[in-house]
Amino acid sequence: MNKYTEDDLREELKTKEYEYGFYTDIESDTFPIGLNEDIVRAISLKKEEPEWMTEWRLEAFRAWEKMEEPEWANVHYAKPDFQAISYYSAPNSKPKYNSLDEVDPELLATFAKLGISIDEQKKLSNVAMDVVVDSVSVATTFKKTLGEKGIIFMSISEAIREHPELVKKYIGTIVPQKDNFYAALNSAVFSDGSFCYIPKGVRCPMELSTYFRINQAGTGQFERTLVIADEGSYVSYLEGCTAPSRDENQLHAAVVELIALDDAEIKYSTVQNWYPGNAEGKGGVFNFVTKRGLCEKNAKISWTQVETGSAVTWKYPSCVLKGDNSVGEFYSIAVTNNHQQADTGTKMIHLGKNTKSTIISKGISAGKSQNSYRGLVKISPNADNARNFSQCDSLLMGNECGAHTFPYIEAKNKTAKIEHEATTSKIGEDQIFYCNQRGIDTEKAIALIVNGFSKEVLNKLPMEFAVEAQKLLEISLEGSVG
Amino acid sequence: MDLKEKLTASFLAFENDVDTDTFIHNIRNEAIKIFEEKGFPTKKEEAWKYTSLNSVLKDDYSVFPKQENTIEYNDVKKYFIHDIDTYKVVFIDGKYSSHLSQTTHDGIDVCLMSSALTKPKYRIIVENYFNKAATKDSLTSLNTAFSCEGVYIHIPKNKLVQKPIQILYFSTGNEAATMLQPRNLIVVDENSHVQIIERHQSLTSNAVLTNSVTEIFTNKRAIVDYYKIQNDNQNATLIDNTFIKQRQESVASVHTFAFGGKLVRNNLNFYQTGERIESNLKGITIIGDKQHVDHNTLVHHIEPNCESHQDYKGIFGENSTGVFNGKIVVEKEAQKTNAFQANNNILISDKATINTKPQLEIFADDVKCSHGCTIGQLDESAMFYMRSRGIPEKEAKALLMYAFSNNVLSSVKIPEIKLRITKIIAHKLGVNIGFDL
Amino acid sequence: MLKIENLHASVEDKAILRGINLEVKAGEVHAIMGPNGSGKSTLASVIAGKEEYEVTEGSIFLENEDIDELAAEERAHKGIFLSFQYPVEIPGVSVTNFMKTAINETRKSKGLEDMPAKDMLKLIREKSELLEIDRKFLSRSLNEGFSGGEKKRNEIFQMAMLEPKLAILDETDSGLDIDALRIVANGVNKLKSKDNAVIVITHYQRLLDYIVPDFVHVLYNGRIVKSGGKELAHELEEKGYDWIKEEVNA
Repeated sequence: MNKYTEDDLREELKTKEYEYGFYTDIESDTFPIGLNEDIVRAISLKKEEPEWMTEWRLEAFRAWEKMEEPEWANVHYAKPDFQAISYYSAPNSKPKYNSLDEVDPELLATFAKLGISIDEQKKLSNVAMDVVVDSVSVATTFKKTLGEKGIIFMSISEAIREHPELVKKYIGTIVPQKDNFYAALNSAVFSDGSFCYIPKGVRCPMELSTYFRINQAGTGQFERTLVIADEGSYVSYLEGCTAPSRDENQLHAAVVELIALDDAEIKYSTVQNWYPGNAEGKGGVFNFVTKRGLCEKNAKISWTQVETGSAVTWKYPSCVLKGDNSVGEFYSIAVTNNHQQADTGTKMIHLGKNTKSTIISKGISAGKSQNSYRGLVKISPNADNARNFSQCDSLLMGNECGAHTFPYIEAKNKTAKIEHEATTSKIGEDQIFYCNQRGIDTEKAIALIVNGFSKEVLNKLPMEFAVEAQKLLEISLEGSVG
Repeated sequence: MDLKEKLTASFLAFENDVDTDTFIHNIRNEAIKIFEEKGFPTKKEEAWKYTSLNSVLKDDYSVFPKQENTIEYNDVKKYFIHDIDTYKVVFIDGKYSSHLSQTTHDGIDVCLMSSALTKPKYRIIVENYFNKAATKDSLTSLNTAFSCEGVYIHIPKNKLVQKPIQILYFSTGNEAATMLQPRNLIVVDENSHVQIIERHQSLTSNAVLTNSVTEIFTNKRAIVDYYKIQNDNQNATLIDNTFIKQRQESVASVHTFAFGGKLVRNNLNFYQTGERIESNLKGITIIGDKQHVDHNTLVHHIEPNCESHQDYKGIFGENSTGVFNGKIVVEKEAQKTNAFQANNNILISDKATINTKPQLEIFADDVKCSHGCTIGQLDESAMFYMRSRGIPEKEAKALLMYAFSNNVLSSVKIPEIKLRITKIIAHKLGVNIGFDL
Repeated sequence: MLKIENLHASVEDKAILRGINLEVKAGEVHAIMGPNGSGKSTLASVIAGKEEYEVTEGSIFLENEDIDELAAEERAHKGIFLSFQYPVEIPGVSVTNFMKTAINETRKSKGLEDMPAKDMLKLIREKSELLEIDRKFLSRSLNEGFSGGEKKRNEIFQMAMLEPKLAILDETDSGLDIDALRIVANGVNKLKSKDNAVIVITHYQRLLDYIVPDFVHVLYNGRIVKSGGKELAHELEEKGYDWIKEEVNA
């Protein structure tokens, strides 16, 4: 008999290797390990930053020194030794390219392995890309097309040099230097990231995309992303992450700030696939990320994330709904397998009147992993007629994994309308048998169930990403899903 | 002398008055002790945080009705579901009214608690079930201490009871203030179905305080549909304590239509002692003036594979107050529990208040629990749309409110009740339109 | 249609079925009754191919083919349908999507193309009317949040869609009030033909007032200990199962 049980699935999951776990042999320019004011100054100097930026970083560093690493999240790991990490690593070629031809062919091959050939992307999917390897932006495509519309899309280092007024005005306004331990660290040492500005009334004609990759051993990646959508503009921004398999843990502490001015809309999608460690829980990326967006009047920010990688994830993309009638959305699929741990969710801070937020969170746990949703919905006293709908669903495979939900609701206005739904379920043999009895075989049944479970979030991804996300789910969960 | 003292003082006289065997006697004595100790609940207790009995307890209630009163059917016909054939058990000021009632012993027992407590043939059922689901909180204990009359229903195995059973408690106000403590026991055996309608009705403006306890037992695969219609006048207070103990694969549904009185407190408790049980708790509350309605529900999921569905809608006008306190407990053993709870409210006046508090205590890990609570106003754009089509404001409002509460009505199995409730809603909303447009 | 010979089955080395013999011909309705724990639901699961149960002896033939080695889905493709006593919830998978997958997988096993969407919609409309199922219901997640009655109605709807040769209704009456019972029974009766067969498993006689059996079998302790016509069901309801137990044990 064709026996494909939950046990088989679990077995298959255990043996599934990390498919993006290759290492690219590119010569890099790497700083000595350790962190002090000199290193912070050196990073700033290396990037030819103006004095105010250096000072801003030092201010963050001094704050960070006094802070403690947070422990409230439902994750357990050996704390990284922050003095054993190199805080700057750049591919040892020219850090800036004028065209793709100048890019190190080895690097291009890396992208090809990732399935994201820049060339192809450029031609086929009309996506403008910025690529950050280790900490440095190596390629920004489509600059010219975007330039005609007045859209600025470049690495943040370039932006600091070329558009200091914009960077200075907005950086740290949404995620202040002292916001939290990792944000402070990032503010002190970030080496690159993406910057994007959409002028008033402009609808960005293509998806903007950034790929992040940690390549070099013993480094951390600290990128900083700043997206500003001016009044009445629209942008859809995609972010993808991978890292090679390594035995030691790598640290990723990013900060993303989004600013949606009046009537603007930002759609920010992430497919995160940092190396999760091997089946025994060795190695993998520590992913400690602060992402936050501010909505002015009638603005909308939508976070969509598919999180399949990282050994430990600590991430809460949030929306501050400051303007009246502003809208915040959070759609998330978090998959954990083997020994992965994820503590992820969102914060929706309702300050303006008639503000609305939607939270859809889907957690899939397999192996010995732990998957937590942590969310805050806060309605401030002036936020008349605020609306929130939250839905947190967990799907368990097997008996050794865990799913946890921590919803926090703080309502200080009686016109608030808040709804919360939560479910936890298992893919059980009884479900599989039910499908079998109706003529559907086991592999198809599991695909049906996993896709059914995730579809509300997958549907929110831009087409270009949906396919990739679906593929990632397959890789992360089992070979035949789909 | 306050009410508590009066009640404890009259207990001895009461006990001497009713002839009883030691079995019930002991239960009553134990119960009065609990009440003496705990007294009436106050706002300091978490479960009574939003409901105060102070304004109710200050009246000088007569605790035993002194004289018997009769009423003519035609005068009270409107309080019955009279357009269908039903069994009826009717009480006037706590005394059984035989001429308004229609009881039966034909295959099933629909009769009086006073008989059940005293006659040997009911002994086994009473010993097995009486006071076995009721909790030991102060008000239930008070009722237990004085329990002597009410409805006794026993449906043996494999019976489909063809006619609904109506339970009516009238108070005639022949005392300035009356306290009533009816006690009902309903036992439905394996694979039987029954539908029951309960109503408490005051016929004058004199004060009445009813502290009612109903115990319902649904045995294996039994199906019970229970409808509570509460639409009393301004001086009537009802504390309804209902306890439902379910066995495997049984289905119990309680619809509470709360159109108020002075103060209504519904303590509705479900205990799921068996697998594959379904419990349904539905409610529509529409009140105004200074009325106060408090729904306090408990669903206790003890065994695996059970379900509960709660859906309460409330519309609050003028200075009225609504409370919803819904507690769901899922024990560790109760895997694969499905528990749903929704509480949606509309405030149509700035002075109306709603306090809602869902409480989920989940100890199992493979469960589905969802709760949603909303507080809102009527949709202004929908109002404008209807008015621009020529529907006057009042009617437009009524239509929206009816639509809002409609999905609770859809699970009502007796069409006559649906019709009656629709009429009451229309009357409450002050319109004269048929809703089934 | 179905022939069961000396069937023994056990779960975790505990023998549940101890020699069942049963023959069901096309066009017949058989009722299997029995006290709790007699093996009624086990028999249904074994015929449908649930892997927890091990067949230790005997055989099951469907249209003269030994189906012992077939997986559950292969048995389904050959026309065995089990209406579950406790239908399973599958969140996120709509009734329509589930049925579409089931029908097309069955067609694929027979070398047929997928059913055109137009025909599928027509079939769904037709069958949902038969079971008085609201169209909105079809886009809901399979069995999720369905009431007991809705779940059972959905089972019979699936039966109508799949048009099985042999339908096994396992305690289809549990959790149904009388109105829902009528609708479900009516659906089953309309699907009955001279070419298919129905096995009704029930503890109570009530369902058999609506789906009238040609034969009634009493299962006790893993064996069929008594067979008769529909009047046997009434006798069991009246007298309970104790007299059967006594007869067997005597």
